[in-house]
Amino acid sequence: MTAPLAVRPAAEIGPDVAAALAAASPPWLADRRRAAWDAYATLPMPSSARDEDWRRTDISGLHLEQHRMLDSVNATVVGGMRREHDAAAPEAAFAIDAPGTYQVVENADALLAQGIIVTTLEDAASRHAELTRRALAPLAIDESKFIALWNAVWRGGVFVYVPAGVEALAPVWIAHAVAGERAASFPTTVILLEDSASLTVIDTYTSPKGDVELFSDTVAVMTAGRDSRLDYCALQQWGDGVWHVATRRASLGANARLRFFGATLGARVQKAYWEAVLDGAGAEADLFGLCFADGKQHHDHQSLQAHRAPETRSNLLLKVAVRDQARSVYSGLIDVAPEAVHADGYVQNRNLLLSRGAKADSVPRLEIRANDVRCGHGATAGHIDQDERFYLMARGVPREQADALIVRGFMDDVVDRIPHRGFAELIGQLLDAKIGGPAAAEQGR
Amino acid sequence: MSGTPTLSVHGLHVSVDGKEILKGVDLEVPQGEVHALMGPNGSGKSTLAYALMGHPKYQVTAGAASFDGADLIALPADARAKLGLFLCFQYPTAIPGVTTVNFIRAALRAQGKEVPAREFLNRLAAEMALLKIDESFRQRYINDGFSGGEKKRSEILQLAMLRPRLAILDETDSGLDVDALRTVAEGVMQLAGPDMGVLVITHYPRILQYLRPDRVHVLHAGRVITSGGAELAQRIERGGYEPILGAVAAAPVA
Ligand SMILES: Nc1ncnc2c1ncn2[C@@H]1O[C@H](COP(=O)(O)OP(=O)(O)OP(=O)(O)O)[C@@H](O)[C@H]1O
Ligand SMILES: [Mg+2]
Repeated sequence: MTAPLAVRPAAEIGPDVAAALAAASPPWLADRRRAAWDAYATLPMPSSARDEDWRRTDISGLHLEQHRMLDSVNATVVGGMRREHDAAAPEAAFAIDAPGTYQVVENADALLAQGIIVTTLEDAASRHAELTRRALAPLAIDESKFIALWNAVWRGGVFVYVPAGVEALAPVWIAHAVAGERAASFPTTVILLEDSASLTVIDTYTSPKGDVELFSDTVAVMTAGRDSRLDYCALQQWGDGVWHVATRRASLGANARLRFFGATLGARVQKAYWEAVLDGAGAEADLFGLCFADGKQHHDHQSLQAHRAPETRSNLLLKVAVRDQARSVYSGLIDVAPEAVHADGYVQNRNLLLSRGAKADSVPRLEIRANDVRCGHGATAGHIDQDERFYLMARGVPREQADALIVRGFMDDVVDRIPHRGFAELIGQLLDAKIGGPAAAEQGR
Repeated sequence: MSGTPTLSVHGLHVSVDGKEILKGVDLEVPQGEVHALMGPNGSGKSTLAYALMGHPKYQVTAGAASFDGADLIALPADARAKLGLFLCFQYPTAIPGVTTVNFIRAALRAQGKEVPAREFLNRLAAEMALLKIDESFRQRYINDGFSGGEKKRSEILQLAMLRPRLAILDETDSGLDVDALRTVAEGVMQLAGPDMGVLVITHYPRILQYLRPDRVHVLHAGRVITSGGAELAQRIERGGYEPILGAVAAAPVA
């Protein structure tokens, strides 16, 4: 593994940092970084007044130039994440993405023996330049302000490569740990599956509890070859002060199968893009998400199911519960290209409003330019059903606990569909803890 | 304590969505007795059951209801359950995502009747076997996709697990096949006795042949218009409500 890229400690995001990182990168990457910084400098900051994507999500309070490049790791945060791994998926390789100081890949011997690569993206960029370029291909350098910034200044990162025909014997668990007042972090996951490969990835994001202000510009980019299978699970549990902008994009070859799960629990403000691009005929993507927002949290999910080839199938279900003053914004698009005949796509967002002050907006959309397709969308928003609450209370369950059981029940079908059992149990526990229902926490199984 | 009323209802008026349904109900069920409540469709039987259990939609506008001397009206439903009141719903609510086993466990804990996990599961298995409920129902979401009869049996399962002091059965016998009715009735009989009284709401004498009520009350247009012994149910079965209503109307006002 090559030495991590060095930058001036605690440097603010700016041209000096970008230039230093470019200078320390292999030539192909250096060019990419410079072009990306130029794009970043030119593109305006997204604004809720100007940009449709950002209409309901206000980031005018985010001052990027005041954030310093993350250069330290909080051992407590990493320790907590390791314990989650140990309890939920001890069989999984454990890869820490904590730029600048150290990167570790643990428990990966079995995978490495299969010819699978699990390393930092920095390392991959030097030693496996061609693979890395292919793996980054689904992401254009200048497609948005935040993606341009990420391209210019990312460090560390985790890269996973599975050769053709190899079925990974164990999952890869990735821990993105961030800490430090006004730190800027660029958590990165890059996955490349060759034809007929299969892999499960569990991608977790944690910072210290509390409202320390942090900025995270997250990228997870996945490329799944013909006939491959990728199970991808993300868990976002940042602290309460985090600005979280994320793009998770999977590009699927012919007959590839993606199962995507995302849990959104943390951050102060989130704008997350969840995108499946079905590039090959017969590709299939199932995307499921859970979001529980409380306090003053603002969670914006924007999804894309892009059907680019015939006989492709996609299905997305996002379940959201909002409490207190929290707000959820969802917009989703199924985009069917003219060549995607017989496409089958469904997008659904269900919201449960738990307080008067909580809000949820939902705009699922279809854009269909092909003939003979089957596509649909649905959105619901409602309060806890009075009769359901009464039924539970009539058996002695106090009101708050009844509500907690109902909220947890509302999410249960999605928890059930999480591809990894141990991780699903962790999600269940985290939901219980956040919802505050001790009764739901205990399983009478 | 024999003879002391456990449930005591006086002059109860109840409105739903601003419409008065109960117009002065008087009813007493002494400790450990089995009483039947009959009456034509729409007379207010389920309304009384819901009002006694504390559904927020059912507004008590006048009168009193107490259980073991405790005023019920001011209490939320969970507090009434903790006092020992139990309602077998006529139309049990489905709650997707909440499994039967977790729900019963949560209810026991909430009522301070928690037992260790193993003992709980053994008891649950035993009660399910008695009620001929398939094991798979443990992990099924409560009432979700249950058939009518399965819902009724699931209600009795909860009754058996929670051991209340007074069970209100709202048409638990409706929609059950002959064998299921016997199973359910036997389940209730096992529990009924000095520790548990029963107020059974029904249209049919069959369940009463099993439960042998001490008293039968007839509710009509929001009032209990007459009460009697078990033979009253037989009279209703043979002649319908008309003669009874007529007799009550003709009777001189005391
Ligand atoms: N929300 C409501 N608004 C208006 N009327 C209502 C409402 N709910 C119930 N009622 C009326 O109250 C009356 C009593 O209903 P209830 O369900 O208590 O009758 P019941 O005696 O249980 O009848 P059944 O034997 O058919 O079960 C009925 O006429 C019913 O239509
Ligand atoms: Mg009724």
